[in-house]
Amino acid sequence: MNFENPTVNIEEIPRLADRDFEPLEEDYLYFRISGRSLFYLFAAGIGSLFSLFGKVYFWYWLGPILSLWALSLIFEFVGFKYRGYCLRQMDVSYRSGWLFHTMTTIPLNRVQHCEYSQGPIGRLFDLAQVKVFTAGGTSSDLSIKGLRKEQAIRLRDQITQLSSTYE
Amino acid sequence: MSDLNRLLVPQRQAPLGVAILFVQNLRRAINIFLAVVVVNLGRDFSILGLNYWDWGYIIALIFLVFSYFQYRRFFFYVQEENFIIEKGVFKQEKLSVPFARIQSVNTRQNVVQRLLNLVGLKVDTAGSIQQEIVISALSKAYAKELQEFLMEQKYAMASTEGAEEIQLEEAEQRLNASEKSKPLLSIDFPMLLKVGLTQNHLRSGLLLFALVNGYVWQYEDYLLKPLEPYLEETAESLLTSWVLLLPVVFLVFAIISVISSLTVTILTFFNFKFYLEEKGLEIESGLLARNTYHLPYSKIQYFVWATNPLQRILKFRTLKVKQAGAEALNEKKLIGVPGLQARGLLKILDRQYPDRKQYAYVKRKPHVLKRNQYFFWFGLLPILSITGLFIYNQMSWWFYLPLSIWPTAVFFWAHAYWQAFQLRYNQDYLEIRRGYFFPKTILIPAYKIQNLSLSQSILQKDRGIASIRFHTAAGAVRAAHLDMRSMRELYDLLLQRVESSTEKWM
Repeated sequence: MNFENPTVNIEEIPRLADRDFEPLEEDYLYFRISGRSLFYLFAAGIGSLFSLFGKVYFWYWLGPILSLWALSLIFEFVGFKYRGYCLRQMDVSYRSGWLFHTMTTIPLNRVQHCEYSQGPIGRLFDLAQVKVFTAGGTSSDLSIKGLRKEQAIRLRDQITQLSSTYE
Repeated sequence: MSDLNRLLVPQRQAPLGVAILFVQNLRRAINIFLAVVVVNLGRDFSILGLNYWDWGYIIALIFLVFSYFQYRRFFFYVQEENFIIEKGVFKQEKLSVPFARIQSVNTRQNVVQRLLNLVGLKVDTAGSIQQEIVISALSKAYAKELQEFLMEQKYAMASTEGAEEIQLEEAEQRLNASEKSKPLLSIDFPMLLKVGLTQNHLRSGLLLFALVNGYVWQYEDYLLKPLEPYLEETAESLLTSWVLLLPVVFLVFAIISVISSLTVTILTFFNFKFYLEEKGLEIESGLLARNTYHLPYSKIQYFVWATNPLQRILKFRTLKVKQAGAEALNEKKLIGVPGLQARGLLKILDRQYPDRKQYAYVKRKPHVLKRNQYFFWFGLLPILSITGLFIYNQMSWWFYLPLSIWPTAVFFWAHAYWQAFQLRYNQDYLEIRRGYFFPKTILIPAYKIQNLSLSQSILQKDRGIASIRFHTAAGAVRAAHLDMRSMRELYDLLLQRVESSTEKWM
C-alpha cells in the first residue's frame, strides 16, 4: 500500500463549471414536448369518452388537462436550457432540471459498462441515448438522452475507450 | 491440499448431502402444502382412496428421489480461472465465477447440517441473487480447505494485477498467517444478554407483530372463527374497560418485544467471534445455525456505526460493514458487530483507515430549512389534517387540546435532529453523523465513491444551499441542505480524489 499522500490544494483541482456543459439537440425538446402532448391527448380521449357517452360536462376535464398541458410545456421550454452533458478526460457528467436541478458525475475509472440505445419514437426524431453503469446498482447511474445517433455512438465509444484504460 | 487437485474434474457434494437437499425441499414443500393441510384439518380427506398420511408418504418419496437426482447432477469444479457449478435436474444450469469476481467465501451450518456434521459454502459475488453460488453439503474439513483455496485464488488474481511488492507482502503474510490470531472481539453470555436487552425493542416488537399478523390473517378462518362467539361476547365488556386494559396491552407488548429481540440476538450472535485477519475480517456466530463470514478488506465499501438510547447507557454501538452489491442484496448479507465499545471500534478503524486523521476535517452543518421541513411534514401536516377532520365532525373544543402536544414534541425532535446532523470531510474521508435518538455515523473513504450527484430545488436556490449524494458500490448516502459553494468545492475535490486514485475500490 502506498501511504504517500500529499496535500491537495483546492485552488489547483480542476473545477467543473456550468460553461463546460454541452447543450442537447433541439429536436430533443420537440421529442419531449410531443411525448407530453401525446400523454395529455390520451387523457383527453378518455375524458371525451365520458362526455360523449356519460353525463360529464366537457370543461370539467378539458380545463384541468389544458392547464396541465400548458404548464408542462412551459416547464419543458424553460427546463431545456438546463439540460446538458459534459465529457472530460476523466469523468462524464449530465445535468437537468429547472425547479429541481440535478447534476451527476461518474469518474471514468468507476464505469463498469456503457450502453447505447434508441427507442421507436427516438428513431422518428433521429435521437438516441447513452447509459453509463457503475457497480452495485441495477439501473443505469447516468443516462444522456437527446443525442444524434452517430454522436451517441461516438460518445459511447469514447467513454468505453477512456474507461478501459483504467482496468 | 491433495484433495484440491481433484477440483479439476467435476466433484459431487458429500453423499449425506442427499439428506440436506431432502430437508430443504421438504421445507419448501411444507410451506406450499401447509395451507392445504390446515384447510382440511379435522375433515375427512381422501383423493383416489388415499388419505392424508398416504399422500404425505408419496410426496415425501417423490422428493427423496428428486433430491437424489439433484445431488447426482450437482457438480463443482475449477476450470482455468473460474469456479464452476453445474446443477439442475430437468434443465442443466451452469454458473461460472471468475476468481477475481469473488467477493467473499462464507460457510454456514443450519441445524440439520450440524447434526450431520456437514457445512454449507456460499460464494458471494457482486452480482445479482440468481448468480449466488451455494454448495449445501461438504465435509467440514473439505469446506474449510475449499474456502481457503478460493480465497487464495482470489488474492492471487488480485496480486497478478498489482506490482511485485504485493507478492513480497503476501509471502510475509503467509508466514504470519500460520498462527491463528486471537479474536478482536468475542461475546460471552452476559455480554450477549446485554446486547439483547439493548436492542431496539420497538422495532423487533413491531416486526414480530407484523409477522404474526400476516400468519393470522392468512389462516383467519381457521384460527379466529372458533373463537368468534367468545370474542363477540367479551368485546363489549372489554370496550367499557379499555382504559384499564390499555396499560396491560402495552405491558404485554413490551414484554413480548423484549423476549423476541433477546431470542433473535441469542440465536444470531451466540458465541460471536470477530477476527481481524491479515487479509480480511472474519466473523463466526450463531447458536442453531453457525455462520462464518470472511470479507477481504478491499471489498469493504464503508462502515456505519449506530447506537440507541439504551445502548448509549452501556456505551455500546453496533458496527455494520457495507460491502459491494445491489442495494436490496446488501441488506441481506449485511455483516455486523454488535456490542462494540469505543476501544474495539478504534482498533478496527485504525486497522482499516490508519491515515484517517492525517488531515484536518472541515465541518459543515445543514441549513435551518432542514429542521423546518421536518417540522412541517411530521409535526404540522398531520395535526392540520386531524384538525380539519375534527372541524368537519364538529367535535367539542376539548378534543383540540391534546393536539398541541404533538407539534411541540416534533419541533424539539426536529431541532435536535437538525443540530445533530453534520458532514465532515478531509481530502481522503467523508464522515456523516445523523440522528438524535438513534445517532449513526457513516465513514466513507473518498476513493470508494463511484458516482456523485448534486441537486438543488427552487426552495434551496434562494437560500444558496444544495443536497449532495454519494454513491458507492454498497449504496448511496445523502446529505441535504448544505451550503452550495462549499458543496461544489467538495464535489470537485472528491472527483479529483477518485480520478487520481489507483487503489482497487472493489
